[in-house]
Amino acid sequence: MEEKIINRENLNKLCRDIIDGGNILIAPGKTEYTVIKDTSEIILDAGSKPTKASYKNYAFPKAEPVIYYKKDKNDIELIDIDIKGKKTVILGAKPCDSNSFSILSKVFNWDYKDDFFNMRVKNFIVIGMMCEFADKYCFCTSVGLSPVSEKGSDIFLIPLDENNFAVRIITDKGKEFMESYGKYLTEGNPEKAKAKTEAVKSSAKMPEKVFNSEEVRKWLGKNFEHPFWDGIGDVCLSCAQCAFVCPVCHCFDIVDEDYSYEEGRRMKNWDGCQFGHFTLHASGHNPRDIQGKRYRQRINHKFKYYVDKFGEILCTGCGRCSRGCPVSIDIKEIVSDTVKQ
Amino acid sequence: MTEEKWEPKVVAFVCNWCTYTGADLAGTSRLKYPANMKMIRVMCSGGIDPVFIIKAFERGADGVLISGCHPGDCHYNAGNFHARRRWTMFHQLLEYLGIDKNRLQFSWVSASEGKKFVDVVSKVVNDVRELGLFKGYKELNSEFTAVVNGLKQEVNKAEAVNG
Amino acid sequence: MDELRNHVKELLANGTVAAVIGYKEAGSPMRTKPVIITAPEEAILLVFNEYCLNNLAVYLTKARVKNLARVNGTIKKLGIVAKPCDVHAVIALIQESQLKREDVYIISFNCNGVVKDYGETLTGETIASKCLHCDARQPLYHDKVFGELKDLPASPDEELAKIKSFDDMTSQERFEYFKNEFDKCIKCYACRAACPMCYCTQCITDKTIPRWVESSAHGRGNFSWNLIRAFHLSARCVGCGECERACPMDIPLSLINRKMLEVAKNDFAYLSGRNLETPTLVGSFDVKDKEEFIL
Repeated sequence: MEEKIINRENLNKLCRDIIDGGNILIAPGKTEYTVIKDTSEIILDAGSKPTKASYKNYAFPKAEPVIYYKKDKNDIELIDIDIKGKKTVILGAKPCDSNSFSILSKVFNWDYKDDFFNMRVKNFIVIGMMCEFADKYCFCTSVGLSPVSEKGSDIFLIPLDENNFAVRIITDKGKEFMESYGKYLTEGNPEKAKAKTEAVKSSAKMPEKVFNSEEVRKWLGKNFEHPFWDGIGDVCLSCAQCAFVCPVCHCFDIVDEDYSYEEGRRMKNWDGCQFGHFTLHASGHNPRDIQGKRYRQRINHKFKYYVDKFGEILCTGCGRCSRGCPVSIDIKEIVSDTVKQ
Repeated sequence: MTEEKWEPKVVAFVCNWCTYTGADLAGTSRLKYPANMKMIRVMCSGGIDPVFIIKAFERGADGVLISGCHPGDCHYNAGNFHARRRWTMFHQLLEYLGIDKNRLQFSWVSASEGKKFVDVVSKVVNDVRELGLFKGYKELNSEFTAVVNGLKQEVNKAEAVNG
Repeated sequence: MDELRNHVKELLANGTVAAVIGYKEAGSPMRTKPVIITAPEEAILLVFNEYCLNNLAVYLTKARVKNLARVNGTIKKLGIVAKPCDVHAVIALIQESQLKREDVYIISFNCNGVVKDYGETLTGETIASKCLHCDARQPLYHDKVFGELKDLPASPDEELAKIKSFDDMTSQERFEYFKNEFDKCIKCYACRAACPMCYCTQCITDKTIPRWVESSAHGRGNFSWNLIRAFHLSARCVGCGECERACPMDIPLSLINRKMLEVAKNDFAYLSGRNLETPTLVGSFDVKDKEEFIL
């Protein structure tokens, strides 16, 4: 399908169709990605600040049961979870968010195929949108992305003016999805769309590249014991807010919960490597007992280990962690400082 | 589901030295009182942590009663004084968060007050019966029961909550 | 600010303090972050303005920071740059025996308010809501104080009005309201980490045998966590608002913590962190405490 155009009115009708069809539509609200019940809630502004938290919760929930159990005198019955996954559309994901599932899929399909994640992602359509916002916490260009990157989107929107968006089909999944909504699309204007992307790329809305990720990876490989890491942890409060709002952080904890003596469930909950007890062993030993070691782990995991293993940087440069950090720790500064040591 | 008239479930945390003995006295005197009360004996009302109360509501209690020795009579001298301060604040916190005042009640019952124990229990059970099933907390759990009690079929949320 | 920097430089140079916890600029003039300095030359980094939002008292109970005070086998003082509201937290920690008064050197200011969020100029709309009901713009305790008091921008105390409006709601309505707010919780525990009064080395929610407070971020776990935290802070919370600021999901924690502050004030005429000599409310009792609610 070649590039088309859709105007806001038709886009609202498309969204109405999605909701009426029993599917879930998620779009950025004022501060969060929310499930849209009425098309009047849709904002869709390329210049808006990234939401405080990412939308990974919809494919990788903050708390989800993985198995249920039921006991009686002689037996334990294990009851599997049947993930059906409703068809879900994410509308208006910035390039720093749309990439999150493709990055996460690598680790969730590594030695163990995580069906809880896979089944949900199978039913997701990501409609990305070009971004026209950049503040000093953004650094998508330093991690291989940009405000006009189509990576991770099934369909990509480019705002041409107040009322019209260019619609680019990126994947087969996107093509299949859009086929049923052809009536809302009009003839495309590829030159105008291209001009828009060029304009954004050469404007102040393109975050400045502040570090070379390959250089960083090499430095990290050689400097595990560097004193640089000692002072980093002093002001961090170990609250793990950074891990929880991040589109690609994926550590989780497995806990068992009981409802009564007979019934219970095993939960998979978000966990954060910045928590003091994250690496606490049953023996009482804690290999990452001070914050400097924990922060070192965070940077290494994102910029070295994940790259070595899966060829992707575990960071999209969205800057949420730095914007929201209660003690204003800026990950972009720390990573650029590493190679300057 | 069998048609049973709903009866409130009330949990009582009582101190060993006074209230528990008072309850015992009610028993030996063959005084009648509602059977809705599940008693949990602790050594002192000062040793009752608010998490016990929260856990009781989480696990299906519709009301909670806490009872201890009269001020000045505490077996451990000051346990009930400390508890009293805590309860003043906890009670108001729960009320503010939407858990009705009458679902959590406190009393001083001494070892010789078997009759008072009966009166307190009857009052609390009646108050809770009037307030009805503690839907709020059950709804926090319902996604849990709904799934455990028949994952293979759709369970109506309203049905699961219905006492 | 120069006065502050010179004073701190002197303190570090003559060995009165082993380290100073203060604020430094964080990437822009309208944002600050905590910094811990040990050398006199670093004093030039310190700033103090309406963007100093953090409550630095949270570092006074951290082992690594306390270790900085250990110099050559003696315990030296730790300096702290504290707004008057942060001084309440320091005093509250001393009331609870977490610190000794002689181990901390309080550098404070006559405060003219701070902003709600970084990046905004201080006005009647952008001023933090805690500043609107501040009762101690001059620090109650200090070892050094700077700055002059100016008038605060005028603004109504909306937070108190909102808390009072809850009295008119029914139990069910209040429960629904708080349940919906707590549903947003992701159990990141940023509220706990940012709070100077949450210094337990093992929080009750970390205790697994038995599991009192579930760590899962579902309705039940969230309600219990927020309830228990609110209770553990009753009559101890100093109202610094850091918990609400740290929360990534914008849960209105100050509606609850402030309510409990009012309860302590109304029922016991007690405010945490105001007087070194007063015993803590929950650590003491009065035989004449009221008990009309007890059967």
